[in-house]
Amino acid sequence: MPQIRTAYLGELDYADGTVFHFPYGLPGFEHEQAFLFLKQPHTEPLLFLQSLGNSRLCFILLPILVVDPSYAVNLDAEDLAALHLPPGRQPKIGEDILCAAIVTTGSAGQGEPTANLMAPVVVNLKEQIGMQVICAESPYSHRHPIPMGKDAAPCS
Amino acid sequence: MLIMKRRAGESFTIGDEIEIEVLEVAGTRVKLGIVAPDSVAIVRKEARVTREENITASQPVAPDALAALAHRLWRAKTNS
Repeated sequence: MPQIRTAYLGELDYADGTVFHFPYGLPGFEHEQAFLFLKQPHTEPLLFLQSLGNSRLCFILLPILVVDPSYAVNLDAEDLAALHLPPGRQPKIGEDILCAAIVTTGSAGQGEPTANLMAPVVVNLKEQIGMQVICAESPYSHRHPIPMGKDAAPCS
Repeated sequence: MLIMKRRAGESFTIGDEIEIEVLEVAGTRVKLGIVAPDSVAIVRKEARVTREENITASQPVAPDALAALAHRLWRAKTNS
């Protein structure tokens, strides 16, 4: 089984069948086209989008419905084709696609974390093809506040 | 910000080498034609914003900050 050093979860074994392909990479990281989706119990519901090509590159994601339970997917015909999804209908989150928002935690602890709802990461679960869909007419912000409780007391 | 009004078929220039023509106005959409040197990158604003946000988001986060974030999400869920 191939092994990978990850940015947040140490060294891991992974099966080739769990690799997701991003034919266009992500904006700013166009050459990174193979990723793993990872999670760990003590940081759920956070998801980790770990690059296979660059062990230090790992995005922190949240399932889009965690950020906004009323979020409605709106992919245009081109996006559907690029993701190998059937034309003419919107895919269902959790059934056809995984839809997650990239989290920006605020630089050096400054500011509140935000999620990019304007450009969600969308993955065809069956084909394991993904892309970051930039919704030009999105009503959502690229810095959407994340619904959270107050700062936790420091854990001992 | 400079503001000007243009109709379909009219254009304006930026510097000596860039010309932008309004090709069509339909409902809420405007179709533009842009002539510029190859050296000038033309990127939709939302693509540029996403690129910049991705670069910020790719910066490493301390493990305890991650755990604290997850904890706050969990608290928000249990409080609601």
